[in-house]
Amino acid sequence: MNGLRIFTIILIILLCALFIYVAEDIPVFGDRDAPPIKAVTLFTMEVDQVVSFLDQQIVPEKLSKELVKRGFPPPSRIEKITGIGIEWNASILKEEPHYAKEERYYWIKKEGDKVRVSRYAFVVRWIEKGLEETSVPNMVTYGLADYRGYDTLGETTVIFTAGVSVILLLRRRSRL
Amino acid sequence: MKRKEGERDVIVETVTRIMIPFIQLFALYVIIHGAGGPGGGFQGGVVFASAFILYVIAFNLAGGRERFPEAANTFFSSMGLYIYAGIGILAIIFSLGAAQYLNYGFIPFTSHFEENRALGMDFVEMGIGITVMAITASIFFDLAQKERNGKEEEGG
Repeated sequence: MNGLRIFTIILIILLCALFIYVAEDIPVFGDRDAPPIKAVTLFTMEVDQVVSFLDQQIVPEKLSKELVKRGFPPPSRIEKITGIGIEWNASILKEEPHYAKEERYYWIKKEGDKVRVSRYAFVVRWIEKGLEETSVPNMVTYGLADYRGYDTLGETTVIFTAGVSVILLLRRRSRL
Repeated sequence: MKRKEGERDVIVETVTRIMIPFIQLFALYVIIHGAGGPGGGFQGGVVFASAFILYVIAFNLAGGRERFPEAANTFFSSMGLYIYAGIGILAIIFSLGAAQYLNYGFIPFTSHFEENRALGMDFVEMGIGITVMAITASIFFDLAQKERNGKEEEGG
């Protein structure tokens, strides 16, 4: 019985050390470089007068035709992005966005004469890149167990805690 | 027709005896199949625990406890969580601290990074299933035990 107690204490200490290590290891909330939030490159195309359309804030017709041809929602306005350390030059918005931040679909990066068009949204990456990154066809499962693995570990801990609470409250004998 | 307490019903017992293996097999199928279709650890664990609940309803509580003893119940309820946490630690150990916790790709099950992630997910689902099964059965057994104790106190 004494040996069992020492073994249990060692296990608990190991778990505490693990949780401290994991808490150090969790990615920063809102980290732009976190694996699931990276942008998905759609295509690269040549557009005349790249600088002028960025300045005038008009979506070029060629670009919007290409997007509609690929089955994406048609863009309506373009916003120039300025700031230090930002990877993108502009973003294109859908018409009348309900959630302005999430529906900022297309992100544009100037590369010489060409523009690189990317999509930069968590849900888009979840749907489009999940199968090739995890080789699991079920979208829910790779979300549950891989992208949100920390969350599921917490959920399982909640269930475990509920069970242990019921054991402690309802069992009348002294031992577990 | 009113039944006496403790009277056995042949139909219920026979159907239960036939059904339980299929329920358990279906639960294992749901857990294993979680990566490819609908399913997963939580659902499969609850389905597996329902087999024990059906046994206790059809037969009796003591028989159910005999087949799933308390010591095993407590052991399994924590083992699933340890499997989950252990898979996460394996990722750190095999990458010598370079990978994040729970980054299944670095555990060398196979030679492909993506296949490793899929297999790691399967093992994690198994851990979830074991914990959920044991905890659901444990809560059910405890509640049933409590109710029986109360009845005895009232009667005596």
